[in-house]
Formats: sequence, C-alpha cells, structure tokens
Amino acid sequence: MISINEISKTFGKQKVLKSINLEFKKGECVALIGPNGSGKTTLIKIILGLLFPTSGTLSVNGRNVEKSVDYRAYIGYMPQMSRLPENMTVAQVFALMKRLRKDVTEHDTDVYKMFDIDGMGNKALGKLSGGMRQKVSAALAFLFNPDILILDEPTAALDPVSNENLKAKISRVLAEGKMVLITSHNLSDLDGIVSRVVYLMDGNVFFDKSIDELRSNTGEERLNKMIVKSLTPELV
Amino acid sequence: MIQIARYLTIDLLKNRAIIGSFLLFAAIGWGLFFIENQPEKALLMVMQVTLLLLPLITLIFSCIYYYNSYEFTVLLLSNPIKRNAVIQAFFIALSVSLSIAYILGIGLPLLLNYPSVETFILLVSGNFLLWIFVGLALFISTKVNDKVRGIGLVLILWAFFAFLFDGLLILIMYQFGAYPIEKLILLLTFLNPIDISRISVIMQTDASAMMGLSGAVFVDFFGSMKGLLISFSALLLWVIVMYAGAVRNFGKSDL
Repeated sequence: MISINEISKTFGKQKVLKSINLEFKKGECVALIGPNGSGKTTLIKIILGLLFPTSGTLSVNGRNVEKSVDYRAYIGYMPQMSRLPENMTVAQVFALMKRLRKDVTEHDTDVYKMFDIDGMGNKALGKLSGGMRQKVSAALAFLFNPDILILDEPTAALDPVSNENLKAKISRVLAEGKMVLITSHNLSDLDGIVSRVVYLMDGNVFFDKSIDELRSNTGEERLNKMIVKSLTPELV
Repeated sequence: MIQIARYLTIDLLKNRAIIGSFLLFAAIGWGLFFIENQPEKALLMVMQVTLLLLPLITLIFSCIYYYNSYEFTVLLLSNPIKRNAVIQAFFIALSVSLSIAYILGIGLPLLLNYPSVETFILLVSGNFLLWIFVGLALFISTKVNDKVRGIGLVLILWAFFAFLFDGLLILIMYQFGAYPIEKLILLLTFLNPIDISRISVIMQTDASAMMGLSGAVFVDFFGSMKGLLISFSALLLWVIVMYAGAVRNFGKSDL
C-alpha cells in the first residue's frame, strides 16, 4: 500500500530522515514510535505530501506520488487539532469536507455516531475541549472510508470509554483489510491492535519488527515492556 | 477553492479582530467628520489615519490567522486538494472580510458625509492596499514557518512602507534638489503602494497646491484620468505580484 524508498529529509544542516526504507501492507496496523525529534512527524508529513523529501520516492498503491494529490483520496488523516479557525462550527467543518470530497458518496459514520458529533454540531471549534477536538478529528479521518488511516496520537486526550470504542473501530477496519499507521507516546493504548512496530531513532529505522517477533524475542505480553526490552536488552 | 473561501469568510466575519477593526474604522470615519467641519480636511485626516492603520491591521491579522489555522490547512491538504486552492481560499477570505470591515467602517461615513471623487478614490485605493497587504502577509507567512519571526518581518515591512520609504524619498529630493528629478520621484512612488494611494487622493484635493514644483508634476500626472488609471493599474499589479508570490511560496514550501 505505502512504499517508502530511500527517503531522506534535511532541514538546513540537520538531517532528520536518513535514507528510510519501509513498506506498509494491507491489513497491517503499524505503530510508528520513537523519541521526540526522531523523525516520526516528518515521515508522516512526507507521506501526506506536506513536506517534500530531499531525496527518495514514495509510492502509494504502486504509483509514485511525486507532485500528485489524487493519492490522498486513499488516505484518512487524524491530526492533532490545536490551531483551527475558531469560529467555524463542527457542522460547518463536516459540511465543507463533504463538499470538497464529492467523489465519495458512501460515508463511514461509525465514529461520527459513536462520538455523537451531531450533538456538538453547533459548537465553534475554538470552544471545544481537547478530547472533543480529538473526536472531531477521528470522525473526519474515518468519514470517507479510506484504505489507509494515519492517526497521530489518536488517544492522547480521549476518555477511557471513547478510547476503547476507537480501538474497537480500528480493529474492525483492520479486519476489512485496511492499513493503519499510528504514532503514539502512550504505548499501553495500542496494546491488542498493533501488528508491527517501527522504531525510529535519529532519523534511522532502529528496528522494524512484527509484534509476534517482539513477543518471542522478549517474552513479554505488553507492548510497553516489549519495546523497553528491545531497546535495552543488556538491562534485563 | 470557492467552498473553502466561503467557509473561511463565514469564520472570519465572526472573528473578534475583524469586528474590532470595523468598529475602529467606524470610530475614525464618523469621529473625524464629527470634529472637523470642513469635509475635505476631514477626508484628508481619515486618509492619513487609514493609510497607516489599514496596512498594519491587514498585515498582522492575516499573518496571525494563517499561522493559527495551520492544522486546518493540514487537514484540508490531507485530502486530494491542490495546494493552490487552499492558499487562494485564504487570500480571498481574508481580502473579502477585511474589505467588508473597511467599506462599512470607513466607506459608509465617507459616502454619507462627503460623496466625492476623492472619497471614491480613497475607497478604491484602500481596497487595493488591503489586497496587496493580505498578499504580502501570506507571502511572508508561507515563506517563514516560525510565527514570531513572520510577524516581526511583516512589522518591519510595514514600517518600511509607512515611514522609511518616504524618508528615503525626501532624502533624495533634498540631496538632488538642484536637478530636475520630479519624474524620477514620480517613478519611485510606484514602488510603494501606500504612496500611490496617498498621492492619488491628495491630487484630487486643494492640498495639492501646497506641494511645490514636484506637486505640479504630480498634479499633471495623477490629476488626469489617464494618471489615475495608471496608478490603479500599478496597484492592481502590486496585488497580482503579491498574490502570485504567496501562491508560489505555498506550492513549494514545507508545511
């Protein structure tokens, strides 16, 4: 589905990504993790076409996407929404998005209903709490039934019930054969849905392992502990 | 693009800063006509205040609005939408909403108190200025990713166009006063849209008589219909250049 070939990104003198090669396939749920400044956000922004790689190519569904925007129709992105037009209402955002995506006629309103977005339709974006913004962001990501979902810190501000509901939804779309890429600092939230972990460090892929591999290597069941043990085997 | 611009305009018209600008413009427009009995003098005072304030408000507000909508921009661009459409929408929405605040705030009192050619020119050139400075603000903020640096830079540019440029012109006029440099000065004024607007208005009023020899050359040029058309064309060219610069920057930049 997504193929990242030799992608590098330099900001001024700083090399943020160093010849990254990754391949994400159908039905995979990949956790993209790493310390602050490791290049996670840069990689996601390159996939979304917000940043231009210094070198390397990106293919989505087998097609090189350089200078193209059409491939983004396959992607649903859940950003961390903090800076938004503050007087625009939730209903207006959804109306605008639907007008912009007239190509999609069948909407996936599971998350929309689950988080009762209708109930906050008249609220201005500037008046929403962190959790509410996150819910709006999640509902938008799933709305157009994309094959690929990119979720940036999806559970950061969600209450435990919403968190579990969102995880259940992610599991359902994975069963439908879609691909999900998640970045998160809170690894315990990803337990049970992640099938593969890509750990970035200093712009390199430090390790890229399936969850089964991590489990058998470390003998741990919880994702948090698997990662810690994989990073510091000498400490165990 | 039209859809994005439409929703952004609806958002902007409810924005406190836009409403505040409208109230400030209205206070200036009505207030100066209230305290000054001669409408032509009042118009010149309104002109001086607006030519300083309008670019400042436009630059700072447009910059802040663009930076504060970052996640919204990202959300739009994560869909199959061309980058040009997004920046064009920002340009249109900011220009339309600020123009509404300006026309209702300054335009209404001017048209009611002093319906004249000068008023018309001030309103038209004011709108041109607005679009130019929205374009300039977007040009800078699409180039400079850091909000503080971006706003600092537009403030410096405002000071340049509002004061420093005129200072340089006066310096040249004094230094080379012995030479026939009126035409050169006339050409140089086209490098500053605020000057083009100011002179276009002044030349329609009696105040132009106080401008000496260069004033005579200016009256000859700006006072005629042809001159007015040329200065409006120059302002339009400024709009196009700033707008095209912002679109170009946004298309190439890392977000």
